[in-house]
Amino acid sequence: MTAFRIGSVATLGCVLFALCVVSAQEPTPSSSRSVWDGVYTEEQSKRGEAVYQKECASCHGASLGGGESAPPLTGGAFLSNWNGLTLGDLFDRIRKTMPQNGPGRLTRQQDADVLAFMLSTNKFPAGKTEIYRQSEMLKEIRFESEKPADKK
Amino acid sequence: MRDRKLFRLHPGLVCVAALALVTPSALPQSQPKTTEWPSYAADLAGTRYRPLDQISALNFNDLEIAWRIKTDNFGDRPEYKLEGTPLMVNGVLYATAGSRRAVIALDPGTGELLWIHGEHEGKRGGAAPRQLSGRGLAYWSDGKEERILYVTPGYRLICLNAKNGQPVSGFGTGGFVDLKLNDDQDIFPDLTTGEIGIQSAPVVASNTVMVGAAFREGMTPRSMRNNKGYVRGFDVRTGKRLWIFHTIPKKGEFGYDTWEKGSAEYTGNTGVWTQITVDEQLGLVYLPVESPTSDFYGGHRPGNNLFGESLVCVDLKTGKRKWHFQLVHHPLWDMDISSAPILADIMVDGKPVKAVAQPSKQGFLYVFDRITGKPVWPIPEKPVEVGNVPGEWYSATQPIPSKPPAYSRNGVSVDDLIDFTPALHDRAKEIAAKYHLGPVFTPPTASKLDGPLGTLSIGTASGGTNWPGGSYDPETHIAYLYACNSCVEPIGLVPAPKEVSDIAYIAGTAGHEVSILRGPGENAGADSPKPPKKRAGSEYVPMNVDGLPLMKPPYGTISAINLDTGEIIWQIAHGETPDVVRNYPALKGMNIPRTGQETYNIGTLITKTLVIAGEGHVTTTADHPRGAMLRAYDKKTGKEVGAVFMPAPQTGSPMTYMHNGKQYIVVAVSGGPYSGEYIAYTLPSESE
Repeated sequence: MTAFRIGSVATLGCVLFALCVVSAQEPTPSSSRSVWDGVYTEEQSKRGEAVYQKECASCHGASLGGGESAPPLTGGAFLSNWNGLTLGDLFDRIRKTMPQNGPGRLTRQQDADVLAFMLSTNKFPAGKTEIYRQSEMLKEIRFESEKPADKK
Repeated sequence: MRDRKLFRLHPGLVCVAALALVTPSALPQSQPKTTEWPSYAADLAGTRYRPLDQISALNFNDLEIAWRIKTDNFGDRPEYKLEGTPLMVNGVLYATAGSRRAVIALDPGTGELLWIHGEHEGKRGGAAPRQLSGRGLAYWSDGKEERILYVTPGYRLICLNAKNGQPVSGFGTGGFVDLKLNDDQDIFPDLTTGEIGIQSAPVVASNTVMVGAAFREGMTPRSMRNNKGYVRGFDVRTGKRLWIFHTIPKKGEFGYDTWEKGSAEYTGNTGVWTQITVDEQLGLVYLPVESPTSDFYGGHRPGNNLFGESLVCVDLKTGKRKWHFQLVHHPLWDMDISSAPILADIMVDGKPVKAVAQPSKQGFLYVFDRITGKPVWPIPEKPVEVGNVPGEWYSATQPIPSKPPAYSRNGVSVDDLIDFTPALHDRAKEIAAKYHLGPVFTPPTASKLDGPLGTLSIGTASGGTNWPGGSYDPETHIAYLYACNSCVEPIGLVPAPKEVSDIAYIAGTAGHEVSILRGPGENAGADSPKPPKKRAGSEYVPMNVDGLPLMKPPYGTISAINLDTGEIIWQIAHGETPDVVRNYPALKGMNIPRTGQETYNIGTLITKTLVIAGEGHVTTTADHPRGAMLRAYDKKTGKEVGAVFMPAPQTGSPMTYMHNGKQYIVVAVSGGPYSGEYIAYTLPSESE
């Protein structure tokens, strides 16, 4: 790999950025859950698939692979885009901006179901409880693209 | 319908403009200063080159943010797909921005908002096929008056006074020209919902402003009939139409007979949706034309289909065709000519050639004498596979350049599949085994449950060089081209139910209900497809292995091509190795060279010594938090010489300029959780 050096100003920025991230996440005792902890159910994912195919697939593709003008919702680029953020961030993005021609048209339940389908397609495990419908609660669930060592 | 809003935010702007008028910078369009960026691609030749050298290999890492501007409030919702490249002329920076495609004027040193102009187009804007902020605008001046021109999502050409953002009353009707009118066709079904628009920037040369056309995504059209994408030239002073070029010939015009069974009458699309290039001295315009209706099935348009996927040279004053070269006969692969042709004055075998070089999705750089249209190096017709989709018409040959060699993958074989480990290679082979594979121009197949599901293609819809285009250094005669080297596209065709489309076959996968694919913002309410009814054995096939790209690295490249010799002089992987590769458990400890990234939206900027391009993916590494890097490479060698952090991927191509003695680089970033933002970088002041 080609090595590179980030300039001193940029380095300072990175440090500050990292501090801000830490600060923004505190307090974090309840942040122990992640997408690897079974945060949706299979049934919810099936409901979400139906919503997805009706409302989302025309732009993002039937298999979430993206389209001419919409990004993929699976694969490396998608995972790294959200890695280190929370499910609440992803839910808010859906809730506030999608579908693009009518943001907010879907119900919270539908958005949550679509999110469950997206997690399922990206091979995050299903669990016994459905995904939350409130972004504040979803912000307590970390989006981690890499499976933690204790889950392997 | 129209509710024009104008905000003049900076009374001092008049003073700024007045000062500009008395400086030597108020030159005619044909003599822009090399310290400015007066056209979308820097100049009318499509070079994306400025010979500036204040920012260099020695100090690139020292760059810091001079200013930044979020575009959330330039529309009624944030945008996550900011693709613009600003202009900078006479001490003012201009850009399109936000989900309303507003025009903003900024102070290039501070980012202060000077004025904003937005058009409220109501249903017409909401029904447009190409919405959001667009890619940019055009500047014109006669040395006294300065104008900004752009096209709204609703397909109206707007002319603004560059000093204050006010519409120019003498242009068209109150400052705008309705592009859905006077187009040698009746846009159907009506002016409000009729499908036609454009997201690229208009081009102005010799007092003529030129505009093409774009349509909705063309893989699953509702009909073989559509509006046509003609190109027009307008008088930049009055808005009067000066000429039109019929990209699908009318009866009696050259090329009409390449549309058999009268298919030129009803076939549509075939627009010029990307940037137009102009040689003002020769008085010639170069039009890169896209695919006809539909992208992957041409059974309703038998014949070669001129001027689909052709580079067409027309006269700047009349729009009359001078020459053309069809890159793909009877287009079936969505190989739209997707980026600006590049003008290059080169020396081939000791003889000077005024050339035009056309990058492409299929990874070929087609090089022609731009006066005659004759290929600089032979482009022979070669036999290609003929498919068997019912009703399709096939060209038995396609033109394939003998030089330069392809600079990105344009065919898929088992040898191209991921092979970090034997197990990963086997899983990729399992996926590929469901598809038909082959070299460039392997035709799409009908999708069958028992295989193949389609043709696994690369260098088609999203491959190679796409809309951001390439760069060219007129001093060294070297072109620099970013390309996606791993953007695979499975192309399967399924019979279209009559209630979905009148086309015999549209893109789809066997076993899945046919659905219409849309671009962003299209009316998803009216014709929403029904929920899918999957059949057994018809699971969706991912184009990745555990998130890892299906293809071997490099996933995205920058190539330097010497246009005097037609040789690739260097090629590098552009972009940090994706997180999913670096963190994949089975790859831990392996020495994997930088892979680059799987994306097609990257544009390059070149300066005196550097090639500059941002990354298209977010990564999180030991060296930087989640974000993307704006990277600089030595033009001579491709060696990386610096990188600076961006909070989100590059989504609009970078540009550069000098202002008050300092060089700036401006780049558009957005995507994922990050809404659109223009960021300007510069060096710290010496006193710091």
